[in-house]
Amino acid sequence: MSTVAYITARGLFGRRRVLLLLPLPLLLVGLALICRAYDVDPNQWGQAVVVGLGLAVVLPVISLIVGTGVLGSEVDDGTIVHILTKPLPRRDIILAKLLVAAGVSAVASAVPLFVAGILADSVKFGLALAVAAAAGAVAYSALFLLLSLVTRRPVLLGLVYILVWEGLLGRWVSGTRVLSIEQYVITIADKIAPTGMLDGKVSLPVSLVMAVVFIIGGTLFAINRLGSFSVAGETS
Amino acid sequence: MSEAGVIHDIGYQRYTGPRLGRGALLRALYVHGLRATFGFGRSAKSKIFPWGVAGIVLLVAVINAAVRSQTGTWLFDYYAFDDGMSWLVIFFVAIVAPELVSRDLRSGVLPLYFSRPLRAADYVIAKVAALVTAVWLLLGVPQFIMFLGGAFTTKTGMKGVWHEVGLLLPGWAYSVLWAFVFASISLLIASLTGKRAFAAGGIVAVFLMTAPVVGVLSVLPSETSRHLAGLASPMSLISGVEGWLRDRHDLGIDVGNFGVIYGIEAFCLITACLLLLLARYRKVASL
Repeated sequence: MSTVAYITARGLFGRRRVLLLLPLPLLLVGLALICRAYDVDPNQWGQAVVVGLGLAVVLPVISLIVGTGVLGSEVDDGTIVHILTKPLPRRDIILAKLLVAAGVSAVASAVPLFVAGILADSVKFGLALAVAAAAGAVAYSALFLLLSLVTRRPVLLGLVYILVWEGLLGRWVSGTRVLSIEQYVITIADKIAPTGMLDGKVSLPVSLVMAVVFIIGGTLFAINRLGSFSVAGETS
Repeated sequence: MSEAGVIHDIGYQRYTGPRLGRGALLRALYVHGLRATFGFGRSAKSKIFPWGVAGIVLLVAVINAAVRSQTGTWLFDYYAFDDGMSWLVIFFVAIVAPELVSRDLRSGVLPLYFSRPLRAADYVIAKVAALVTAVWLLLGVPQFIMFLGGAFTTKTGMKGVWHEVGLLLPGWAYSVLWAFVFASISLLIASLTGKRAFAAGGIVAVFLMTAPVVGVLSVLPSETSRHLAGLASPMSLISGVEGWLRDRHDLGIDVGNFGVIYGIEAFCLITACLLLLLARYRKVASL
């Protein structure tokens, strides 16, 4: 299991595409620094930076790139066969990959959010954002890992989820918020450190339970899908 | 017809008849690209995403036209339609741009293309033209539906129709601007990687991460920075150009007296992206 995790991490970091993870967090921290330097009231920029950029873009996009990268790229170039033919339970493969994906996206998104939170309000707010972002990263990773097993175009479907479901519908249709990880993250962070910046629209029990449902359900379903996985050619 | 240095015989079949030149190659690439953007000639699976987006956009236009013919007021006019559809346009180029250029990189056909009388510039022109046309169709056809809705329900006869044409044409021109900005940026990003998935993620990330920058810059305590905030994101850049050309200050951003800068930046952005694309294809290694 540790070997699978090691290989996955190396596949993730050993290529140029890991550089894709850098600009987003840097932009987040940079914007917060600029606002801080100009002494703008955090109530004016906090929402735009922390929610608009941090929770709505940085966290899901990083989780998407990492979450579909750990398994999807192996499915794409066919090297998944090498792992599948080893005498390993499929469960271990999924768990190792999920661990790496969640760990990497949690670090890559929680650290800049922590810094932005400190700059916006206080250390407590930063910690709340970091904890919520880490929880969100695990849920997103489970979802996107599952997507890369059930469809041949995981990134596009993931983008539909981020852009259309959370971005467009989540803004106007209140019913879709119950199934939006972004809203759970906002609620959790808001409950740990209440500020005027975050505006949780779902209740805390709902977000905690649904986040766990996403994590456990996604993992179990992914294990199930990998159990009967068939290797096919590239889509046309 | 054959020029020196052009490999025609790649070992499959002899052919000694006349050969078509660069123009025909460019046209073939353009037509193929345009068909590929909407999934024509591909499997049903690859039609899902582009036609899903096109379906939503068309539906919005039909609803808008219906509301207007019933109540006489727009939900949004031709310009606001483009602005309102911006997220779907981002998604559309994220699907289509990797389809146009990343596939060629991944399957390694570029050395084959460029061993023919096809220049790098021709390839870039054909791909950009295909994507610009596709995005323009995505926005222009719904606008035309809105126009039909308005023209058939007009109360003032031919004069009303001409008035409607006068509204539609600038709307179409606005869509052309959208198409050029989005096509040039997304093709440049997509041409950097052979993996369609990462290209799509990269395109969405670039467009989305610029939007909050505008929000932040516009709250800085400086009049100038508020007027110039829109320059940071392609979407607000385009509405800034609209605000400048139509002299409007009630749009999302107030460009103040800096409107001309928006125009210059839009032009420079498109030119820079196209030149970088050309530079990208100066040298193509087979991946």
